[in-house]
Amino acid sequence: MLLRIVKNDYIRKKAITATVFLFIAMASLLLSSAISIIANLVHSIADLQRAAVPSDLIQMHLGEFDQAEIDRFVETHQDTIAMQETMVLQNLEGKDITFRNNESFADTVQDISFVVQNQNFDFILDLNNEKLNIEPGEIAVPIHYMQTYDLAVGDVLTVSLDGYQKSFTISDYARDSEMNTTFAGSKRFVLNQADYEELYAAQAAETEYLIEFKLVPGADLMAVHTDYVDAKLPGNGPNLIGRMFMLMSAMSDAIIALIMILISMMIVVISMLCIKLMFQAAVEEDIREIGVMKAIGISKKDIRKIYRNKYCIMAILAGVAGYLLSFAVMDVFTGNMRLYLTADLSGSLSYLLAVLAPVLVYVMISLYCRRMLKKMDKISAVEALLAEVDKREKHKKYRFALLKNKVFSTNTYMGIRDIGRRFKLYRFLVVIFSICTFILIFPVNIYNTFNSPDTCTYLGIGKSDLRIDLSRTDRITEDFLELQEALTNDPDIEMFSPLITCSYQIRNPENEWDYLNIETGDFTVFPLNYIQGSAPLSNGEIALSQVAGDELGKKIGDRLEVRVNGEVRELTVSGIYQDISHGGKTAKAHPGLPLNQDAILWYVVYADLQEGVDLLSKIDILKEAYPGASVFSVQEFTLQSLGNMIDQMRMAVFGGAAVSLAVAVLITVLFLKMLLSKDMSQNAVMRSLGLTLKNIRHQYMAASLTVLVLGIVIGGLLTEFLGELLLGLAMSSMGASRIDLVSVIWQSWILCPVMLFAIVGLSISVCCKIAAQKDLSVVLRS
Amino acid sequence: MNNILAVENLNKTVDLTKTNKLHILKGVNLKIEKGEFVSVMGPSGSGKSTLLYNVSGMDRISSGNVKFKGREIGELEEEELAKLRLDNMGFIFQDINLLKNLSVIDNVMFPAMMLGKEDKSQINKKAEDLIKMTGISEIADNTITQASGGQLQRVGICRALINNPDIIFGDEPTGSLDSKAASEIMSLLDDINKKGTTIMLVTHDAKVAAQTERVLFMVDGNIVSQKKMDKYNKNRHELKERTESIMKELISNGI
Repeated sequence: MLLRIVKNDYIRKKAITATVFLFIAMASLLLSSAISIIANLVHSIADLQRAAVPSDLIQMHLGEFDQAEIDRFVETHQDTIAMQETMVLQNLEGKDITFRNNESFADTVQDISFVVQNQNFDFILDLNNEKLNIEPGEIAVPIHYMQTYDLAVGDVLTVSLDGYQKSFTISDYARDSEMNTTFAGSKRFVLNQADYEELYAAQAAETEYLIEFKLVPGADLMAVHTDYVDAKLPGNGPNLIGRMFMLMSAMSDAIIALIMILISMMIVVISMLCIKLMFQAAVEEDIREIGVMKAIGISKKDIRKIYRNKYCIMAILAGVAGYLLSFAVMDVFTGNMRLYLTADLSGSLSYLLAVLAPVLVYVMISLYCRRMLKKMDKISAVEALLAEVDKREKHKKYRFALLKNKVFSTNTYMGIRDIGRRFKLYRFLVVIFSICTFILIFPVNIYNTFNSPDTCTYLGIGKSDLRIDLSRTDRITEDFLELQEALTNDPDIEMFSPLITCSYQIRNPENEWDYLNIETGDFTVFPLNYIQGSAPLSNGEIALSQVAGDELGKKIGDRLEVRVNGEVRELTVSGIYQDISHGGKTAKAHPGLPLNQDAILWYVVYADLQEGVDLLSKIDILKEAYPGASVFSVQEFTLQSLGNMIDQMRMAVFGGAAVSLAVAVLITVLFLKMLLSKDMSQNAVMRSLGLTLKNIRHQYMAASLTVLVLGIVIGGLLTEFLGELLLGLAMSSMGASRIDLVSVIWQSWILCPVMLFAIVGLSISVCCKIAAQKDLSVVLRS
Repeated sequence: MNNILAVENLNKTVDLTKTNKLHILKGVNLKIEKGEFVSVMGPSGSGKSTLLYNVSGMDRISSGNVKFKGREIGELEEEELAKLRLDNMGFIFQDINLLKNLSVIDNVMFPAMMLGKEDKSQINKKAEDLIKMTGISEIADNTITQASGGQLQRVGICRALINNPDIIFGDEPTGSLDSKAASEIMSLLDDINKKGTTIMLVTHDAKVAAQTERVLFMVDGNIVSQKKMDKYNKNRHELKERTESIMKELISNGI
């Protein structure tokens, strides 16, 4: 019997039932997707780690090299070092590699290295996470290059160097656990051993050594590194920690997961609000029915059961539907992960974990039901039968008199005053529209933030036009001086700033000597945004990246001990800046700090062009004049470095927009249906007085759109303030805790609101049309 | 003859189920002259309220002709019908049907504001005059939850009059009131009619019908007889006699 009542209730209120069903399904779908994405992320990183066995510590070196020294070091450290392998890189310029119709990789900002597969660890994999096995004449190309240059298996790459020319057929994608991400500065192409030896023998490419260590589990990584440096072993290049690569790879997917979770949470909030609204409407509409049920002696328990059944059955069905649908959605969102991290996303764990979502939605709904039903218990049979509940308003002061309206038409005013009179009801809509606006604008703003010219400041780079990187050769110092002189005399250059990065030993909070890459130069030419303090302006000052500052426990004004050429100096921390590149642990010092001659890592020059000088042609000129240098626009560098993330963000923008608009439409329809059924008799009275359907629609339109404007304003402000805070929290572990969200006015404040406006307006006009099909007297007399 | 309403062979059927139809009005013919005060009596289910709602354009007729001031209302679009109700008709309901979220005076002014023929100050003045005339000035600014049933019915009458309608339709306007309040409302309607407004009302009460100038008796979806009375002679004795003769007529018609 009770089930029959529930069934009849569903049939009687088909539209509202369907809308609530959709809502619960959507909440479950999004929450399931979010859980799956996180589970997949964790699973795929673990899977990649298992298959690729990445190194724990990498020391790069250019120039003379003796493997025997390394072997002796390993022998003395057998308790901490499990394996050691040296990968010999053949570094090429992008312009040396051509494909299709003479296209090349010349515009890449990343280093290109040709390698052969390692024997013991740090394997480069194919898309099935199998060790790459390359046949003669073939090459495996990093995923980033395959995607960026639209290459396919079977395409031919031709390498043309001085005295060496050879073509290779692309046989595979190279999935590189260490250098997949665009945040990593270089990419590894894999060759067959024989082809590699031929290239090596030609001595046409630059040879670099990747001295890799796999440590015994639990071994102290920093201690091994310190011992290595102290032993004066080859190490004139940067050193890298395995954990950092993992962090960088996870970063772009983590941001998507964060947005998905945020959106899911908001959808859950919206769904809860909907259930609350539904209950309110149901209680008011069915109040007589409840009265009749109580009057004829149906127990509170049974009445509760009817309502609980109604929503719990819906929660179960919709929750399961949402969970199943999440598999399809997940496919779209995890496309990137599948390509870069692992092919195997069928991990049953993620499906199992995702079941948590519908369970959570069900628990929330049934808890909410219980609370609402307790309230329902308090209504007596007589109150319910006489619908006395409304009489509470008897002593309310009359506000919004018609004569007070001097601005709007009577219809518009009737709509707006309705908000004031029933604010308790409309506030739901305000909250929901605010959330929809947030979901719509937040991803757009994040996308614009990472796409803006200022983004370079989050990479620890000042805003400038171009960047010149000098290759590490024997005469790099001379090259550097010559370049500076040339730039001084170049009329096209407005200003420039030469910067040198060396590895220094610094004293960490544990009172041990640790290594830190410190860039020296004049940082006032192209200033960074400092979270605290300022650039190192005088001798003895140093600015730390946020991650470095946190790790070293240093604040502005603190002293930091740095060992320079054997001598210990104390530097004062002058500022903290944001840097998400190179694992985020960097520092910038005043040029007064002497260079650590043994450990110079790279020379970089940033420059601004005079007004009117074309950036791209200037880059070409400089490239030609300095063949050993990489020249590129800073904006291009930033875009390429963040490329992966920007692509992901684009997807989040469309996903956010779709979710937001769908939610706005669904909610508006649901809300309107509820209002129309609540106002049925009042609307009939208005029609009997001679108001047209258009007039009544106008009133609802005025109310809903006013609420929407309110929601858009609140949502927009939320994005501006809360959005920055959330993004800062998400990014702080990566090195940027204070990100200024860039909002492009026409997108965030015009396009998005107009879209919401149009879609909500359309929903109202379509929904309100249903109102008048019956004879008016039927409604008036009922 | 100056007919404000002319009804010919009016039929109204409603679908109870897909196969079961209920024939409520069965070929009703009726003419109401301008300035007439007509009442309709009959047993429950005879179709008297349905007749009222169909001739006023509130409901759609199934077949036949209904001409209001010479216009065939069955052919009018929803929007035109609404305009007709707003501009030319006034309604008084048994359940009063005021707008809950408006005060007494705003309920009265609302139709005039929607019509938009006069400015707000004129509408306000007119509403105040009507409220004064009906004796409810003291509750003008109250919300409708702060008024009695009799007071609210007067508010309904003021609202029906605000746009100077040609005709007022009343669906048992005194049905929910005590006899004193009912008598006051009827004398108010009588005054309004004397000023030239046509009134057609549905009632169960012979005493109420006795105060009109023509009573139509409906049985089973049709007008079976009518009784014409003097419009002006309504002294106590005359009303008593009229009531008795209406009762006899009802009994003779098996009502």
